[in-house]
Amino acid sequence: MKPLNELTLIEARTALDAGEATSVAITDACLAAIRERDGALHAFLDVWETEAKKEAEAADIRRAAGKKLGVLDGIPLAIKDNLLVDGRKVTAASKVLEGYVATGDATVIAKLKAQGAVFLGRTNMDEFAMGGSTENSAYGPTHHPKDPERVPGGSSGGSAAAVAAHLCIAAIGSDTGGSIRQPAAFCGIVGLKPTYGRVSRSGLIAMASSLDQVGPMTKTAEDAAVLLEAIQGHDVLDQTTAKAESFAASSVANSDGSLKGLRIGLPKQAWDVPGLSSSVRERVSAAVETYRSLGAEIIDVELPYVDEALAVYYILMPCDVSANMSRFDGMRFGPRAAAGNLLETYLMTRGMYLGWEVRRRILLGTYALSKGYYDAYYRKAKKVQRLIQQAYATAFMQVDVLLTPTTPGTAFKIGEKINDPLAMYLEDVLTVGVNVAGLPAVSVPCGEDSAGLPIGMQLIGKAFDEATILRTAAAFAHAP
Amino acid sequence: MAITHEDVAALAHLARVGLEKEETERAERELENILGYVDRLQKIDTTGVEEAAPEPVAAHAFRVDEVTACSDKVRAEIIQNFPASQSGFLKAPAVFERPKS
Repeated sequence: MKPLNELTLIEARTALDAGEATSVAITDACLAAIRERDGALHAFLDVWETEAKKEAEAADIRRAAGKKLGVLDGIPLAIKDNLLVDGRKVTAASKVLEGYVATGDATVIAKLKAQGAVFLGRTNMDEFAMGGSTENSAYGPTHHPKDPERVPGGSSGGSAAAVAAHLCIAAIGSDTGGSIRQPAAFCGIVGLKPTYGRVSRSGLIAMASSLDQVGPMTKTAEDAAVLLEAIQGHDVLDQTTAKAESFAASSVANSDGSLKGLRIGLPKQAWDVPGLSSSVRERVSAAVETYRSLGAEIIDVELPYVDEALAVYYILMPCDVSANMSRFDGMRFGPRAAAGNLLETYLMTRGMYLGWEVRRRILLGTYALSKGYYDAYYRKAKKVQRLIQQAYATAFMQVDVLLTPTTPGTAFKIGEKINDPLAMYLEDVLTVGVNVAGLPAVSVPCGEDSAGLPIGMQLIGKAFDEATILRTAAAFAHAP
Repeated sequence: MAITHEDVAALAHLARVGLEKEETERAERELENILGYVDRLQKIDTTGVEEAAPEPVAAHAFRVDEVTACSDKVRAEIIQNFPASQSGFLKAPAVFERPKS
């Protein structure tokens, strides 16, 4: 058997069920890997070693007594630092929440606890999930597992690096404009953004509430399916969660690996985006050929508004941000700057403890929502959002899945884009449309560039049809 | 759309975001860049297009609007998270500098 920390979630579960490994042994293997590698990677902001060992021991005792909790009992996971775990520190990688201790569990965490999952620690991210490189963390960047001079992507860069470097069995991230899929592509793992409304965001520190979604970051598509099944569902604490038909992980299994009858659409516009590298084009095109050989029908489709989706995103997102960030004012939690009066206290606290990217997005949102500009920006963006939703709906009348590269290029160097916000934003050009349309999408590893850096392809599905994109993703991984 | 120094200062004040002098200049530059990019939306004809809207929520889907109990433990944790407290209450700077007598 391979080292225990390198197991996939399903392999770990099978080993636990067969009595070939204990949760303590798997958890210890992950903790040892963290000790060995995380000094250099900085994927974790906190490692909950004592608590994780206790949780693993309890899982082993339950199992021995025939009282296994669920399919995740004893499985060690890493959690992005924007999800609340009762009694643990959580900062969203911001100084404005330094020292804050969660007073309850996020719904996703409560669901994972009910299944018996073990929590290894909280992972690094761009501050409040704003960024695509994890360089915006107030606690220092995470490094790419294959090249320490490069970024792991972001904002869920810590979770992606932790999975890729086998510091955990799987991880949880969040995705507002690509924050699960882009780091998954950069690090060579699977990252799923579920349909808007599939997973509760109660206890997720909000970035842009009309776009945010929590999802799995895993070593395989089957693992993502297991985690999605565990965390999904309607929640009275999140009004946007849908009463949709439940997702079943078993729906991803494909006995003979054939994709006969599946229609995969290639949006022509996705191959014309600025900066699409030749290696990405080559590897993703090769993946398309693999799908053809598996029996899928490949269809060229129109998907207008690719550039406009990015523009819509960079209006709607900061508008949501400017509202959501108003609670971080030094009054009820986090540090408070010492100032002469209330106004100065607000200005200094937010000036000192919110990072530059966060403050710029607040300013941008405040501008777009202000009197005289609301119609030109927010209202216009909401109308174009409707057109984008319709464009996806039209494409899905012809096909079952849309396939694009996840990112135009592979992992870039630390510092390369940090001073050029527009260049950083253009990283999201292929992922944001999915958030704007509210659809599910998964990034799947499909090869490497000449420097050995991973490349990801994105499979986009119809609303609440995660089963089809995950089955399609799994078929690629198992293709001969 | 041109963003002036005064625009940024006014926005920062409205949003209660403190900016250093060089940050105001940086914001001016970067906001203008981003607004230049998003301006492409103005070229799209949206005549007769409805704004995107979430699914309507039925009134009975809301939770009952009632006070729910909070355990002493959670209450203590919440107070522990306050930047300043006094006798178990949140302490905040005065809203009015000179209260009327």
